[in-house]
Amino acid sequence: MKLDQVSLRHGAAPATRSVGERTPLVDGIDKVTGRARYTADLPLGPTLVGKILRSPVAHGIIRSIDAHKARAMAGVRAVVTGQDFVAPYGVIPIAQNEWPLARDKVRYRGEPLVAVAAVDEATAEAALRAITYDIEILPAYFTTADARAEGATPLHESKPGNVERKVEQDFGDVDAEFAAADLVLERRYEGNEVYHGQIELDASIAEWEPERERLTVHTVTQVPYYLHLMLAQTLGLDEAQIRVVKPFIGGGFGHRVEPLNFEMITALLARAANGRVKLELTREETFITHRGRPATEMRMKIGLKANGQITGIDAEVVQRGGAYAGYGLVTILYAGALLHAIYKVGASRFRGYRVYTNLPPCGAMRGHGAVQVRFAFEALLDEMAETLGLDPIAVRRANLLTEIPYRTLNDLQVNSYGLPACIAAVEKASGWNERRGKLPHRPGLRRGLGMACSHYVSGSAKPVHWSGEPHAVINLKLDFDGGITVLTGASDIGQGSSTLITQIVAEVLLVPMQRIRLVSTDSALTPKDNGSYSSRVSFMVGNAALNASKALKRLLIEAAARRLKVTADEIEWAGESCGVIGTDQMLDWAQVVQEALVDSGTLTVKGTWSTPPETQGGKFRGAAVGSSAGFSYGAQVVEVEVDEDTGRVAVQKVWVAHDCGRAINPLAVEGQVQGAIWMGMGQALSEETQYHEGLPLRPNMLDCRIPTIVESPPIEVFLIESMDPLGPFGAKEASEGGLHGFPPALCNAIFDAIGIRLTELPATPDRVLEAIQARRRDERLRARRAATAAPAAATVEVQ
Amino acid sequence: MSKGLLKLNVNGREREDAVAGNTLLLDYLRDTAGLTGTKQGCDGGECGACTVLIDGEPRLACITLAASCEGRAVETIESLAAEGRMSRLQQAFHEKLGTQCGFCTPGMIMAAEALLRRNPNPSEAEIREALSGNLCRCTGYVKIIESVQAAAGGCA
Amino acid sequence: MERMPDFELKRAATLAEAVTWLAADPRAKLFAGGTDLVPNLRRGIERAAVLIDLGAVHGLSDIALTDTGLSLGARVTLARLASDVTIAQQAPALAEAARAVAGPGHRSAATLGGNLCLDTRCVFYNQSEWWRAANRYCLKRGGDTCHVAPQGQRCHAAFSGDLAPALLVLGAEVQLVSARGTRRIPLAELYRDDGAAHLTLSRDEVLSGVRIPAASPGLRSGYRKARTRGAMDFPLAGAACALTLRDGVLAELRIAITGTNSNPFLLAGCDEFIGRPADAEVLAQLGKRVQKQVSPMRSTVTPSNYRRLVAAVLAQRLVSELSATA
Repeated sequence: MKLDQVSLRHGAAPATRSVGERTPLVDGIDKVTGRARYTADLPLGPTLVGKILRSPVAHGIIRSIDAHKARAMAGVRAVVTGQDFVAPYGVIPIAQNEWPLARDKVRYRGEPLVAVAAVDEATAEAALRAITYDIEILPAYFTTADARAEGATPLHESKPGNVERKVEQDFGDVDAEFAAADLVLERRYEGNEVYHGQIELDASIAEWEPERERLTVHTVTQVPYYLHLMLAQTLGLDEAQIRVVKPFIGGGFGHRVEPLNFEMITALLARAANGRVKLELTREETFITHRGRPATEMRMKIGLKANGQITGIDAEVVQRGGAYAGYGLVTILYAGALLHAIYKVGASRFRGYRVYTNLPPCGAMRGHGAVQVRFAFEALLDEMAETLGLDPIAVRRANLLTEIPYRTLNDLQVNSYGLPACIAAVEKASGWNERRGKLPHRPGLRRGLGMACSHYVSGSAKPVHWSGEPHAVINLKLDFDGGITVLTGASDIGQGSSTLITQIVAEVLLVPMQRIRLVSTDSALTPKDNGSYSSRVSFMVGNAALNASKALKRLLIEAAARRLKVTADEIEWAGESCGVIGTDQMLDWAQVVQEALVDSGTLTVKGTWSTPPETQGGKFRGAAVGSSAGFSYGAQVVEVEVDEDTGRVAVQKVWVAHDCGRAINPLAVEGQVQGAIWMGMGQALSEETQYHEGLPLRPNMLDCRIPTIVESPPIEVFLIESMDPLGPFGAKEASEGGLHGFPPALCNAIFDAIGIRLTELPATPDRVLEAIQARRRDERLRARRAATAAPAAATVEVQ
Repeated sequence: MSKGLLKLNVNGREREDAVAGNTLLLDYLRDTAGLTGTKQGCDGGECGACTVLIDGEPRLACITLAASCEGRAVETIESLAAEGRMSRLQQAFHEKLGTQCGFCTPGMIMAAEALLRRNPNPSEAEIREALSGNLCRCTGYVKIIESVQAAAGGCA
Repeated sequence: MERMPDFELKRAATLAEAVTWLAADPRAKLFAGGTDLVPNLRRGIERAAVLIDLGAVHGLSDIALTDTGLSLGARVTLARLASDVTIAQQAPALAEAARAVAGPGHRSAATLGGNLCLDTRCVFYNQSEWWRAANRYCLKRGGDTCHVAPQGQRCHAAFSGDLAPALLVLGAEVQLVSARGTRRIPLAELYRDDGAAHLTLSRDEVLSGVRIPAASPGLRSGYRKARTRGAMDFPLAGAACALTLRDGVLAELRIAITGTNSNPFLLAGCDEFIGRPADAEVLAQLGKRVQKQVSPMRSTVTPSNYRRLVAAVLAQRLVSELSATA
């Protein structure tokens, strides 16, 4: 049969490229039509209402909890306490000191104490009101100084000085480097504690089937796998009894990268009630669950040569970590690790302290422990540039890594480095050289330009659990219907991971994305994924998807070759069709699939990927943190207008260039970079948690001061593609790196505008105004002194 | 708590439901009418995720009593797509990436819808003012503004 | 979500019906837009066994302009105040103030009367039931200590409505209706310097309308608000001003402040500036006067001294801008 008579039955699409295309999200239509179902929307049938009673006491020993009245109430199906759990939990295996419901001790105001499941909300509330308890009050500590003071009561017995982790990392000879420097400056900085502020409230639905002894949990997690492990651990179940499903979730930013107490509580309630329980947290409770960025005190010391080259860095960082371990030791390690891999450094000394306090526990938030430190570093670098009479951009340029690949002092591997191009792009776009120092000022309003650089990991090269498994797995299924199904455990939290994976598979197979369906995050169906945190998904899962689709393509080509009676090398692959090179012989997609299914049946193909050993960091203590298979880079310029009478800082515009290796979806990359910059702005300008004797003062969407659209600036994004040798199609992360650069760029811009360097975030109007007034007072004092100085004075100090 | 009979129009359809006086419009829409597109993001009137239209005006369903909507026309995100086609706004939010995690999206789109109905060609400042009560944590608002502009511009 | 308390919702057909119900039941509260009341109900700050819904009452949302002045029904929404042409021409400060409140979704529902009667606010008060119980409540609700000034005997919750100062400088009067009759008082007399009892209207009275006297020729007015964000937030401080100039000097000057004290208030001593130009010296003196008369306390997360300073700046800028308009 002449093969050009083969009817391309459904009109085969030509070979289709997807990588590098601006692609709307594969689930975008569900979102804009309201069809997307988030945890609280799921139609799982009637549920009991779960509610949590929270400790009003900041630190105390639980003497007794009396819930008998609650248990006896009509409509109450379960009441549970910390005693009903089997083990504590924590995301880091060596630091699991938290119980889902407080056990023996309470350690922060708001800590879950008792939980109930009842037929409706009114009954659940009444049940909570009927519970009494006796807590013996212990001294509580809300500052790191108080917590570390001599004689302070330990929050955890294993950490008598209330230091969860002390990090000491020295590379090279810092003192010699400082001696060799032309300028050494040391300053103190304070970074604020902030909330993630994702718009979706926390919620979980758990169902216990008593007959089969099976637990199913639908929840807002970014890390279904870690939750799965901790559900088993805390409930004393076998992992095989558990199924974890993550539906659409309304943002994460790190709030949900560890198993969260309310998730395990919901599961326990479901088992205790032998039914289905839905637990929805209020916004206040969502904020109390916290796991946000810790308040950080920093002492930063840098040595520079007269040409701006960094000789040594000495940094001391104290993080106010809250009541439990969580990611704590990782956060403090990141603070030191990412002093490196962005600039050349002669030597470094890092001392880091993660301190326990009687406050809601902090955790991982976009950019993790490196954000506060990058603020201090880039702000100090800017100040030193000024002292040396150097342009801030010139100083960055003086320190760029010149030989790639590059191995840092702390054993981080840099394989691609687009920072020079990033700096050049924002320098040009912002008109830095032409405009800086010449910006138009209106009366009382002063403009300034500031810049900063930043970087971040594309996933941690060493996994949290060293199980020997690959770091990412993707399954592909292709069956009689001709539709490709991607099965992934990767959590799309809005960053577009499902779209990216689909693009990669489509690209390799040259088929339109329409031919691919993606099923994600159902532990009964999809392969395990470690989770969406530290920006690992594009790099690791993307590579796994690449490998899986290559394997599938090979199978399909072999099938085509069989059918056309040629060798695989003679097949020209065009996606929904293929042919024999140099002939008219062709097959369409359906025919190839049909052939491939012969003898084999349904095709299921797996692709895996792991970070190469040389990217996994060094051998020193804590070396695993900071290591990555690919670092992203960014540079940004921020233009501000400062109102000198009200202290208000208005960001006029941000230019940001981000080296994402390769933009698999330029549209999504832009969106993520913009979101990261803007989240940095929220931290830098208006957001802050505050406490009153351990009670959060701002646990609502009004007082937490997430910026509205009105004051949010235009953000122009330039994508730099350094084509990473290990990243899928060269891609690296795009979601976190940009955030680090904003707070210092903002403060540097404020300096350019009004000549004042702020060392404390956020740069709220009251802080800016206070700084302006302090300077006015100093100037008046100086003027008065100069006026009353002896007329015969030989020199006059000129400011 | 005793219930009263509430009659109102939801997404073009007349409804009659037994509703308690203290029921919030948000709960009525989600639990009674089964329309889960409208979301709750805060503890009362602070984030805009629950924005719906009542007689064409933007309103916050989480601080509106369902009973106070007697006789009125309520529109939610589910009403915008018609005859198998998304509205221009929905299309724009999708194509221009005005939506990422999607949670603020229904409220954001409804607020934008209210704007475009009374002002089909808004300036950027007018778009910002119309959406000033809707918080987004993903986008930084840049592509949200572009989405509304794309929906507004061009031929109908 | 935080559960709404149980209550009975009664829809009044007329104002007479509403005031009859109000008089009969001490547990009843008025309900119009609900943008202040409902969040407070959800938080357990307010409890009401009965809500009297004014939504269907006829004649409460009229705007009427006569030669004696502007008459506004209490149920006119903020959205309408912000966009109505008559308001923009006759009472620009009122339009500006209305536009500055919260967000569009609030303004569609919120009312003139509701905003004038806004509950005072404090960071120790506007919290959940759990939070306030953990903090042993406060002097304003349920406890005996004002956490802002624990040594004192009074509540320092701040009045945070934006319309009041604008209407104060415009010389507004409010109409209060009850089963006992109707009375009219200058707006300033509606307020009391007590965070826990800041409204002088009786429990059984309804604020049914506002009257603004006809503006004197050449009257200019405006409102400016200080907040950290560009929308949504209550004022850290708000200033309204109405002035006229004659031959380059002030012939009339009224300034009112909100957000700093437990009541909105007219700045005392403005008459001393009559006959003087709005020059740098006058502005400086005005600023000092504002700083002296505001008494912000730590009822917000922003330091009180900032609110003092920015209140003065707002007033100065407003006077300067209004004087400069050609």
